[in-house]
Amino acid sequence: MIGPRVEELSDSDAKVDDDFESMSDDELPPELTRTAWASVPELFSCPPPIRDELETQTSKLQDKTIQECLPFLTGKGLKDWQPQLNSHGIPELSRAAHVEFLQDALGDYPPQFAVMDASRMWILYWALAGLSFLGEDIAERVESMIYTFDAAQHPSGGFGGGHGQLPHLAPSYTAVLCAALGATPDSYDFIDRKAMWHWLGRMKQPGGGFSMCADGEVDTRGAFCALVIISLLNLPLELPADSPAKEAGVETFVDGLAKWIASCQSYEGGIGGAPGNEAHGAYTFCALGALCILGPPHETIPRYLNVAALVAWLSSRQYAPEGGLAGRTNKLVDGCYSHWIGGCWALVEAAVAGPGKPGAGPPPSLWSREGLIRYILCCAQGHYGLRDKPSKHPDAYHTCYNLAGFSSAQHVYSYDDAQTEGDEEEEFQGPLSAGFHWRTRDVEVGEVEGKVFDEGDRVAAMNPVYLIPWGCAEKMRRYFEGKVGF
Amino acid sequence: MPKYAEDPAWSDVEPLPQNDGGPNPLAAIAYTEEYSEAMSYLRAVMASNDMSERVLDLTEDIINMNPAHYTVWLYRAKVLFNLNYDLRKEIDWLNDTALKHQKNYQIWQHRQTIINRLGSADGETAFIAKMFSKDPKNYHVWSYRQWLVRRFELWDEGEIEAVEGMIKEDVRNNSAWNHRWFLVFGRDSSAHKEQDVIERELEYAKKAIVLAPQNQSPWNYLRGVLRYAELPVSHVRDFALGFAPADSPDDVRSSYALDLLADVYEEQHQKEEAIKALDLLATKYDPIRARYWEYKKNLLEQPTAAA
Repeated sequence: MIGPRVEELSDSDAKVDDDFESMSDDELPPELTRTAWASVPELFSCPPPIRDELETQTSKLQDKTIQECLPFLTGKGLKDWQPQLNSHGIPELSRAAHVEFLQDALGDYPPQFAVMDASRMWILYWALAGLSFLGEDIAERVESMIYTFDAAQHPSGGFGGGHGQLPHLAPSYTAVLCAALGATPDSYDFIDRKAMWHWLGRMKQPGGGFSMCADGEVDTRGAFCALVIISLLNLPLELPADSPAKEAGVETFVDGLAKWIASCQSYEGGIGGAPGNEAHGAYTFCALGALCILGPPHETIPRYLNVAALVAWLSSRQYAPEGGLAGRTNKLVDGCYSHWIGGCWALVEAAVAGPGKPGAGPPPSLWSREGLIRYILCCAQGHYGLRDKPSKHPDAYHTCYNLAGFSSAQHVYSYDDAQTEGDEEEEFQGPLSAGFHWRTRDVEVGEVEGKVFDEGDRVAAMNPVYLIPWGCAEKMRRYFEGKVGF
Repeated sequence: MPKYAEDPAWSDVEPLPQNDGGPNPLAAIAYTEEYSEAMSYLRAVMASNDMSERVLDLTEDIINMNPAHYTVWLYRAKVLFNLNYDLRKEIDWLNDTALKHQKNYQIWQHRQTIINRLGSADGETAFIAKMFSKDPKNYHVWSYRQWLVRRFELWDEGEIEAVEGMIKEDVRNNSAWNHRWFLVFGRDSSAHKEQDVIERELEYAKKAIVLAPQNQSPWNYLRGVLRYAELPVSHVRDFALGFAPADSPDDVRSSYALDLLADVYEEQHQKEEAIKALDLLATKYDPIRARYWEYKKNLLEQPTAAA
């Protein structure tokens, strides 16, 4: 997982949210029986066609999850969830409720939330990005956001999880993304770029990768977080003189990095946290995101990864009838993989499509957008916020990444060697600008098997590498390209 | 109740109070007095690089209130090493803490730091087994196990047997399959390239498939071994046909067999057969992936596909 999950910090695992407990129709009092959603295709309403008889812990959990999701997928037998339906007869996006949930996530927390002390900066990103995806203006939050991050900025560079905490790549990544979301010179300039450059120099490893903090783990998150920071802040690629990796002959932040990422691809085709680790959705997104900053996807992804194995593995992460996405082989669907797996598709489809040519058709669509949209609208959203699956409580983490995945399912992305659409200014200068060359448009009928969302259910387009709304990453990069020196 | 402020052992330390970030901090936590005070003392000792034994008590106190605090763990490790503290005692304490906080991963990073310094893996496998009895797919524990195997060269120290036990317990435990791969193919020797090892691994995967053919883990393993050994997928053609007979499309017992056969047909230039298999996947046996099967069909049309 890219960062500590609020859900994992709480004791929500064993609990079933009473509101959403499913029952069979005959148990329902008459006033609560409801009509099902409009006709749901068999694919999303019946168990899969092949089922082995041998029972193990994995198959029991999978069967249980299907039984848990079916009432939500079909609308049959739900106790007291009476959502507004969209014109396709399935629940609409409860936009106002999710906005309120994320606004509340930025508010105060009671003492038992001390376990989130080191992941507070994540909450800021999840909530502010999530609000932006929902079309909310976050301008009035920007000043508080700057103050909050600034208290966590470390004098020796980078950001910690809070005041006095050691600098770490995860909160540094969220700080830079929130600065980009703020989109004002004030929100850009509170980051001490020179100190950040020096600190990142100490995280760079002789083997090419990055450690998350001093004496911390070296994993694919580190590679991705570091490249996001370096490219958005337009930091020099040369390592500072005080970087320990220099002694091993490493000269720049990118030396050996793509090769190290390549060594994390497992025999299954997905990518793990470190060489030898199991293929995992979150690490796979980080690896692909990193490669898409290092260069155009159609160049870097095939150069460093086995694309056929990668696509096969990614595709296997989508299950029916759930429609949602799972993070590893033989694991359960979980709303957060709407992004970690769902977000990989834009990058992989661009890699498969090859260099964009004028007049070329859209990249091939390799996954079921309809399946994911159904999972998110029917299973992942509750009254208030979005969640892993119906039996789990919503939290800011799952709300953000379900919405990001929802956006991926609603938009088509393609890579353009020229530059980002609508950006009439001159070409991006300098290295690591590949992440600013994306184009997007709304998904069209025919690209989604059956269209099951209305315009009212649409969330904002985003930069598929930086995971912030369209234009924010490009604007920040231009700002720092315009600066001379630090 | 102030704990540290009234303790003579801490009288020389001036606590550094919390700064949540300006007048209206976002996502601010109303810490308990106990937590807030302990953190103020931690900030102070870190600022003065205090490495005395009392810091161990302070960090333990904070970890008990918030085990997900990487800063506390990192500083604790520094102090332990500085004091030449008995690292066995640290591991005993960690065992209890890790079992209490299953999903916490700072604990595993700390454990790795301590065991690395200790230079001995004694007792680690037994403890890992205890963790797996609660969650046999815990990613952090598996990563730690791989680090341990590499660091102490435990390749032949009962690892394969342990992993076989876990696969026997749940043949769908993909983390265990991944560890097997790591043990057989992840080591820096050439023994694993030998023909008998390849055959042994193919047989192992096949036996598991027979138990439950619609289980992707051994199919992925099988494909991985074939790719690694640079064998054609048609090497397992007859085996796969046992689960997806070509002349009887209603009797498919494994969509993964059908998927593999589509590749076999492609390899053997039986384009019509490949299309039939992919269509069957798209319409009947794995329709959620219809666009992927369609994409594979399109690849058949491209000239490079025949190469």
